[in-house]
Amino acid sequence: MEDLIYRLFPYAIAFTIPLLITSLGGLFSERSGVINIGLEGLMLMGMFVGAYTISQTEMHYPGTAVWIGLLAAMVFGAIFALLHAFACVTLNANQVISGIAINMIASAITVYLARFLTGSGNVQIIRGLSRYTIPYLSEIPVLGRLFFTQTYATTWFVLFILAASTFLLYKTRFGLRLRACGEHPHAADSAGVNVYLMRYAAVCISGACAGLGGATFIVTLSGEFNGTAAGLGFLALAALIFGQWKPWGILGATFFFGFASTIANVSQVVPELSQVPGIYLKTFPYVITLIALVLSSKSSQAPKAIGEPYDKGKR
Amino acid sequence: MRKWLALFMIVCFLFALVGCGDDAPPPAADDDENGDVVDEAELRVGMVTDAGTIDDKSFNQGTWEGVQMAARDFGLETRYLQPGGTTEADYITEIGNLVDAGFMFIVCPGFKFETAIYDVQDRYPDAKFVLIDGYPHAGDWDPVVKENVVSIFFTEHESGFLAGLATALQLGEGEVGFIGGMEIPPVQKFSWGFQQGVLYANENYDTNIVMQAENFIYEGTFENVAAGQQLAAAMFDKGVDAIFAAAGGVGIGAINEAKARAAAGEEVWIVGVDVDQYDEGIYETGKSIILTSAMKYIDVATYDMIQAELDGTFPGGEILTFNAGNYGIGIPRENPNLDPEVVELVDEAFKAMQDGTLVVSDEQGDLFR
Repeated sequence: MEDLIYRLFPYAIAFTIPLLITSLGGLFSERSGVINIGLEGLMLMGMFVGAYTISQTEMHYPGTAVWIGLLAAMVFGAIFALLHAFACVTLNANQVISGIAINMIASAITVYLARFLTGSGNVQIIRGLSRYTIPYLSEIPVLGRLFFTQTYATTWFVLFILAASTFLLYKTRFGLRLRACGEHPHAADSAGVNVYLMRYAAVCISGACAGLGGATFIVTLSGEFNGTAAGLGFLALAALIFGQWKPWGILGATFFFGFASTIANVSQVVPELSQVPGIYLKTFPYVITLIALVLSSKSSQAPKAIGEPYDKGKR
Repeated sequence: MRKWLALFMIVCFLFALVGCGDDAPPPAADDDENGDVVDEAELRVGMVTDAGTIDDKSFNQGTWEGVQMAARDFGLETRYLQPGGTTEADYITEIGNLVDAGFMFIVCPGFKFETAIYDVQDRYPDAKFVLIDGYPHAGDWDPVVKENVVSIFFTEHESGFLAGLATALQLGEGEVGFIGGMEIPPVQKFSWGFQQGVLYANENYDTNIVMQAENFIYEGTFENVAAGQQLAAAMFDKGVDAIFAAAGGVGIGAINEAKARAAAGEEVWIVGVDVDQYDEGIYETGKSIILTSAMKYIDVATYDMIQAELDGTFPGGEILTFNAGNYGIGIPRENPNLDPEVVELVDEAFKAMQDGTLVVSDEQGDLFR
């Protein structure tokens, strides 16, 4: 059993990371008061841009192509999220509907572009990131084997972003203002904060994070864009709610999903788990989420002004 | 008034349809240029894809390549449509769209088309259908093959056998595993054939290949790439040296994992499926982790059917089997990762299959599932 956990842990972490960063993107947007159910679409955009950029550059810059791809995915994710921001902040549109529109546009436009640019619906990369074991740190008893073996560079990059975001949200003026816009935008406005600008910034960050999440999924797990994000964006959204809109909460929630999904995926080759019917393992995380959401709905920590377009004249 | 409105709507709908079709397959555009090569240009060949995309590096692509090959040789117009889902209704819609657009020869790869073809064979009696890996039935597994339909089956177990034999001979010693997509007959037969091939090598050629029941599994889908990667990783961690991946997109995940490990210096192999997947397994050094592939010559079968139609010998109403005997299955003609001696021995086995001295069972028997 112990050995099993050691073996699965690195894969579970690898599966968690794309979810975590996407969920963190959702956190930025929602903490500023803009619901973002377009995470799935933003992630898909990141997957496509990441895969396409890497497939085009890896011949010329074999080592750095992956990072160029990740960067491009962030940039395009942010640009694409501007659409959502424009609809929700400037035009005061319904945020849920705008999010759905983002999802639909993304799945259509990426497949169209993939076919147009490469002549096929799939974009494959030859080389993703490889796993490595960190010297010295991996020798620490227990923790070393769990966290420092078989890791991807993106894992540490994303965890760094998580830590930086926590600092940004809770320890800086920018973070305080952003959160204020999500709780009580009128109060923030009366204190001299430009609510529109803050929300634009938050939604763009959200797009960049989700784009990075999609591209991370490409370079670590799937290795090919095939026109779907397989519901990962929605899973990230669920983790955001499950994690109660808090950075460390979503770390726990996404890890829970990542670990449970990994177990469900590999259960068949693990003798200890192969007795359990796959359907139970596959539905387990979702059932737990439903129960947790029901239990926590009374004391939901959702930002107060979430989902409301900001109207200056309203009191 | 109402009639005019209805007519108008139909015209609009048709325009929309034609409009949609035009930008779909870039390869189809090239065919027009070759249109004047042969005069048989009257036949328009359509295809509806199964789950996955047209370039899935396996089933759909194999079929489409056969269609394209025929289009080049005979100067035909071709088009494929990708259904929005994988239900019977989705398939029937797309088949109807093709028929409406004048594509009267339609190729449908995949057992999931069985009930849809059962429905359309009566609805469009003038259209011809080629159903690969299945036969039309009403959902009760009772075959009803009309005069305008031909059903094609492959002997996956023979193909799997050859791949298993090649793998065992090449490795000599080690452990092998299997990742299947859905647990359906064609995939199961691949697995059973593969196991028999390995056992055959162990008995007759002194190889020492281990197989464990826990390493012969079905992921349950043909799409979950991440699961394929994680499954392959878990198997390789347990000491498996080569995995036979008969699983569409799930197999792509397994190939990725093997590529990453090979790049890091580990010696791991994947055995490809349906088409020659050698190119999918190429990593940085230019080598490929695809040891060999258990092929079904879907392209040849498709091509043959189109040719038969043009010659007026379309075998409508029949259920055909493509096997070693008629060169319907096999391993790729070129196998850079196999030693020449291994290829020779596999060829021998292939010949033995053809003359009937070597029989591969398509039943589970006491093999793993």
